[in-house]
Amino acid sequence: MTASPPPPDAAAPSHAASPSPSWVSRVFSTDHKVIGKQFLFLGLAFLAVGGVMAMLIRWQLARPGQPVPLVGRLLFPGAGGVISPAAYTSLFTMHGTIMIFFAVTPILIGGFGNFCVPLLIGTRDMAFPRLNMLSFWTMAVATATLTASFFVPLGAAQSGWTAYATLSTAIGAPGAGQTMWTVAIYFNGVSTVMGAVNYITTVVRLRAPGMSWFRLPLTVWGFFLTSILNALFVPVIAAAMVLLFFDRVFGTQFFIAGSTIRAGGDPILYQHLFWLFGHPEVYILILPAWGIVSDLLSFFARKPAFGYRVTVWSLIGVVVLSCVVYGHHMFTTGMSPLLGESFMVLTMIISVPTSLLFLNWLGTLWRGAARMRTPMLFCVGLVFTFGIGGLTGLYLADIVADQYLHDTYFVVGHFHLIMAAALLLASFAAVYFWFPKMFGRMMSERLGKLHFWPTFLALNVVFGGQLLIGWAGMQRRLYDPSAYEFLAHLLPWNVWISRAAYVLGAAQLVFVVNFFVSLRWGKPASANPWEVGTLEWTLPSPPPHHNFDVIPTVVRGPHELGHPDALARGKDWLGQDEVVS
Amino acid sequence: MSYLTLSTGIAFALLVLVLAVTLLFHRARARRPHAHYTHGDGLSARLLTAAVALTLFLAIDVTLAVRATQHLRERFWNYPDADPNALRVEVTARQWAWTFRTAGPDGRFATPDDVVTLGDLHVPIGRPVYLKLRAKDVVHSLYLPNFRTKIDAIPGSTTRLWFQADEAGRFEIGCAQHCGVSHYKMRGWLIAAPEDAYRGWLARAETDSRLRYDPADVTAHEGWDWETGR
Amino acid sequence: MSREASAQRINGAVGMAVFLGACAMLFAALLFAYAVVRAQATAWPPPGTPPFPRGAAASNGLLLIAAGFALRRARTRGPRWAAAALGLGALFLLMQAGLWGRLVAGHLGPGTGALGDVFFALSAFHALHVLGGLVAIALLLRPRASAEARPRRLRLATLYMDFVAAVWLIIYVAVCVA
Repeated sequence: MTASPPPPDAAAPSHAASPSPSWVSRVFSTDHKVIGKQFLFLGLAFLAVGGVMAMLIRWQLARPGQPVPLVGRLLFPGAGGVISPAAYTSLFTMHGTIMIFFAVTPILIGGFGNFCVPLLIGTRDMAFPRLNMLSFWTMAVATATLTASFFVPLGAAQSGWTAYATLSTAIGAPGAGQTMWTVAIYFNGVSTVMGAVNYITTVVRLRAPGMSWFRLPLTVWGFFLTSILNALFVPVIAAAMVLLFFDRVFGTQFFIAGSTIRAGGDPILYQHLFWLFGHPEVYILILPAWGIVSDLLSFFARKPAFGYRVTVWSLIGVVVLSCVVYGHHMFTTGMSPLLGESFMVLTMIISVPTSLLFLNWLGTLWRGAARMRTPMLFCVGLVFTFGIGGLTGLYLADIVADQYLHDTYFVVGHFHLIMAAALLLASFAAVYFWFPKMFGRMMSERLGKLHFWPTFLALNVVFGGQLLIGWAGMQRRLYDPSAYEFLAHLLPWNVWISRAAYVLGAAQLVFVVNFFVSLRWGKPASANPWEVGTLEWTLPSPPPHHNFDVIPTVVRGPHELGHPDALARGKDWLGQDEVVS
Repeated sequence: MSYLTLSTGIAFALLVLVLAVTLLFHRARARRPHAHYTHGDGLSARLLTAAVALTLFLAIDVTLAVRATQHLRERFWNYPDADPNALRVEVTARQWAWTFRTAGPDGRFATPDDVVTLGDLHVPIGRPVYLKLRAKDVVHSLYLPNFRTKIDAIPGSTTRLWFQADEAGRFEIGCAQHCGVSHYKMRGWLIAAPEDAYRGWLARAETDSRLRYDPADVTAHEGWDWETGR
Repeated sequence: MSREASAQRINGAVGMAVFLGACAMLFAALLFAYAVVRAQATAWPPPGTPPFPRGAAASNGLLLIAAGFALRRARTRGPRWAAAALGLGALFLLMQAGLWGRLVAGHLGPGTGALGDVFFALSAFHALHVLGGLVAIALLLRPRASAEARPRRLRLATLYMDFVAAVWLIIYVAVCVA
């Protein structure tokens, strides 16, 4: 147990009545709770932007070449409301970029990571509050750069969020938009690394007395392990962006093949650097979700998380293995058989810790006394979609199957089931769960359920449908699939997938209404509306600036629900700092 | 691929079954308000979890990996370098079209009698077709959906693919790597014909190419020496 | 030292360790790119590359190492040495800029050939990191900065500048010597 001693002001801190903070100190707040909310709002706003882009993409796939209704003339004035091939390539590029870097990362890692970690480990703030504030504003700079890239001549980036060279170099993508894209990704990475430094130091050093590693909520494990991957691998994509920037702006040739007259690099170098980051990135995004869901399933099933230690070691196993599997994104590049086979085997092995994690979820639910409240619905939804998503990963790990399925909609369906469906469901579960603590009010249960069901069903139709059309052979990133005869029969499928996507989009309006109405008029929340034992629920909703009046001493793990000592006291949960005489 | 679908399908069905049972029967009810308190860290729980995970791993992952490795080594990566019967085709990918070159009667590439086709690849059935690919500008990917395979073409390197058509027909060729605004139009046709029909086409194509040979048309003569790569 | 100060000191060390780990990964990735470019070349340096001014690059490096020593001295001998380190670091950056100008004029700039590409990319990015370190030193030397926090911040800045000097050494050996 290596928790640091509580700071000397552990007793009720004296607060001279301070004048209300200036707008500068509020905007540039160093309070992790404020910064968390800033990230959350930024992320949710860009989730909406990325979502609208998805609707546009789906429109084009369902009705190729037809003008977009209502907003078409506004968005695509030069083309009479029709999405042109160039606009389409920008749409899918920016949709992917925004969703990964500017929606999910700020919501889960920046938002909930910041808000939850200090509270859950029992401390007053992050280890480096000013660095935390800088990390948000660096993210804001990155966001501004990306947004600005829409308005330059030749428009925003067009080479896919993966930006393979040489399409992303000056050869394939002239124009400032792509260059600004590399800068935006770079600064996004800087923000993330700042966050990683903070989260790792905070979890290692600032845990409350008694909060040993194996008493940490799994949510904290998720954020901690994600931060380790962030610290190691975000710099790799930063390097890729630096080199791409140099290739584009200074005429270097890192990603452009050499010739007899001029030695150069290799476009494949880009792919290696990109996926060295890119594969850990998908784990970076999912680890917080896994942590949150592992905790919430326990909380709402009213029993301890099944196999806590095995879960922790499985998460660590995934982190270690994620470093060595990236080649499975490159199975069709003609890599050497030895390399290919190694990547295939390692990718298959990663399914062991993942399946253990999954089985532990089922074990948590088994013989529970589940309370099917909104956060629980979203968690169960995640279990389902992650089940499909995870299993379909095996299809892509198998090199033989991947020769056919690579770069088809099967891949799109697979990663959206995890990145979009599972992550979105986890994010919503987190919002519904922590909204009372963040804002002091409850969200509407009824609207929550009204949000859940269409969202969950539509997610499965959209991305399950994509698995099927990918199985039928439809490639990714096609402006007009009907250009291919062998895909013509898939148009009705695309139409239905798009309709489900519109339903998905519309269902999010329920969430928006719920969020803002509850913010203002929601039922005031008690300290512990969910009746669970982690430390944030010992504080008022919302917590005061300094979090804890007295730094708590932890005496047990976070999942003591249904414990006999609790039942003896007439309730079914024990707090982490609750002393039982 | 059917073992893959079957095994993952069964695993998914079991998952849904367990989930359904918990959601229907293991909920808070008046007569059973409390959960069964366990951390799942007892020996029997751990053994059960390990057994299920191991079974899944062996039944799905290991089996797939073994079968895939076998197929890859025996067929997919078993390029017909030494097979004199294999038809050798050089493929050049560019924004946004495929060109295919065969060696012509002299059997050597980059000579005036090479046959170059734009967008259409003619092959005989019943013998291996060996492709080597280069890209001129950005990364493309030659996609043969009916043959369930694809291979990238990368500027600065040469990739390769081999396949064998066993039935005659017209099969679409696509591009499977985003390569710019007209990526969706970068297509072609693979025309597989019985050997004699193929030879008939080849003879006509060779005559045609000899007639049309223009030493000044550098683009038409792009290609490389199969053996040396130059 | 109070418990709180000692705790903060360890926090800073942990944070700096993570940060340096991240920076190390970044430079490792850049060096990996260099290795690939070099492996692809038929000969190294590629034929036709003008001779590289190793002496100038080495003497610039010495400035950076001197800055690191000066910063280390500041811990015991006072903030004047930190200001000297700042000056030496700034001089390093100026000399680097001069070196780049010379390279561009001598057909060894970025875009002229693989050696130019590699050296420029690595050294320019390294220089940005040096600049960041200098900004940090300037900030801790500000009159309004907390004098109590200064020793801790100085220690962290020293670690960082040592790292940056080590990276320069590696770049120099890998690109200029090999």
